[in-house]
Amino acid sequence: MKTTLAPQATEASAAPRWSPVRVAAGGVLTLWAGLFWFLLLTGRSSLYLSSRTDWLVPMGAAILTVAAVGRIASARTTHPEAPSRRETWILGAIAVPAVLLLALPPITLGTYSVDRRSSFAGSGIGATARAVTGELDFVDVGAAQSFDAALQQLTARGGEPITLEGIVAEDAGLPADELLLARYIVTCCVADATVARVRVVGVPPGAFAAEDWVRVEGRVYPVGREVLVAAETVEAIPVPDRPYLTP
Amino acid sequence: MAQAVRTARDRTWLLVGGMLLLVAVAARTFDAQQLPWLRNLVIIFGSLLVEAMPFIALGALVSAAIEVFVPASAFAKIALLPRSLQLPAAAISGMAFPVCECGSVPVARRLARKGLAPSAAVTFMLAAPIVNPVVIASTAVAYRGRDTFWVMVLGRFTLGLVVAMVVGWVIGAMRPQDLLRPRGDLEAHEVEDDEPRWRRFFGHLTGDLVFMARFLILGALLAAAIQTFVPQSIVDRVANLPILSLVAMMALAYLMSLCSESDAFVAASFVAFGPSAQLAFLVFGPMVDMKLSALYVGTYSSGFLRTTVIAVGATTLVATMWVQVIWG
Repeated sequence: MKTTLAPQATEASAAPRWSPVRVAAGGVLTLWAGLFWFLLLTGRSSLYLSSRTDWLVPMGAAILTVAAVGRIASARTTHPEAPSRRETWILGAIAVPAVLLLALPPITLGTYSVDRRSSFAGSGIGATARAVTGELDFVDVGAAQSFDAALQQLTARGGEPITLEGIVAEDAGLPADELLLARYIVTCCVADATVARVRVVGVPPGAFAAEDWVRVEGRVYPVGREVLVAAETVEAIPVPDRPYLTP
Repeated sequence: MAQAVRTARDRTWLLVGGMLLLVAVAARTFDAQQLPWLRNLVIIFGSLLVEAMPFIALGALVSAAIEVFVPASAFAKIALLPRSLQLPAAAISGMAFPVCECGSVPVARRLARKGLAPSAAVTFMLAAPIVNPVVIASTAVAYRGRDTFWVMVLGRFTLGLVVAMVVGWVIGAMRPQDLLRPRGDLEAHEVEDDEPRWRRFFGHLTGDLVFMARFLILGALLAAAIQTFVPQSIVDRVANLPILSLVAMMALAYLMSLCSESDAFVAASFVAFGPSAQLAFLVFGPMVDMKLSALYVGTYSSGFLRTTVIAVGATTLVATMWVQVIWG
């Protein structure tokens, strides 16, 4: 439904004037372009995309900037119109996510999703095609929990040193000197995140709480499908620049 | 009267401005520890938008270029071809458009509006996100080293073409005005026919972006809510049941709304399911998912979404049942 236009909007005029509806649309596009530049310049794209897809951010920034500049440059017309109330609300609704993401402090997926996401299966890179021969990491551990070939390779390396960084996940069933360490693996964007988990034993009781980021150095011991890490040192760390791993 | 309209409009501007300010303040003071589900929802919502918006923008750019720089006569010639040739040609031409499913919607809409047969435009729209080289490559990487490598890569490509053509055939001889919803109010403001070409280009670009963005936002919000509240393990129980496993994976693809360029990695992680169920996930998802449903409802006439869901679902199910019989 469209509301009645103001008189000046319906009268044709020879001299071009700013069209409020075009300026408003240009403003919303500027906001979105600003969001993509913000993500690019602050490095916060890593909170939403994997390292494989972060090229989308400069692409989005460039196209949206061109669209915004082009719209505002062509916003003067001989038939300027103001947006109806409905159109104003639509433009406002489109602006909401950009404002939200611009204003939001840097946050990452927490332990809420650990039990709701499928376990990491390593896919092509982490599992069958990638031999577990280099320095062990979370991707190797996740692959071993899903594929026999990777599990056999990891089992053969049982007792070797490993260093892992991840978030402490809640598990009420664990003894006081153990914790569940999880790390999200993101292929494209956070919506496709899968989770790799290890059980860490030999942790100082009560030293860490759920949602804490920690670095664990110890030795790895696959026990069936479960992977245990006997901790030698466990220390709290800040959230890494790249909180999600890419396989 | 005019004064009343102006006052109402000013009040709306104030309300919208207030809403945006409120969102900014709420986001700034958000305590992530207090509401973990909301944190989860906001991050997934944001990630879907940050990933999809550049593709929507690219699709709108291509769409505007088609509108302004490609003469309608070019499409009129294609429209003269028999439908038996148009549909395969449209499906194969999807190989030349390496974007995910969100980007192909504005392009297909523009192609139909410019005179390409709607059935061919829809075939292109459905095939492009599956058969383009980037998606083929990502599928190959995801299944590299597995026994089912060729089944997955060739199966996805072939089924993508077949299902897209079947839907195009179902759409039949529908006219563009029957398929497409009328232009929105905002779009109508964006372009005037007597403007120079560069102004019309930016008018169409803005119109398409604003039109698609609202439906993308709605779909991303729904998909994020589903991902937040529905655990993925819900489908594990039916992994070994012949037909239910296929249906479950299609349902999961619908709910997760993943980009076609990454979904193979997620499908590969469902190791409890056989290749046929994973194929069902990889073929159905890029054609019909929650964010696409919102885009389809906004772009096409009522009934299109229902027809597409049924046609894509039935064809994918039948085809993957054959795969299940042969490969498990």
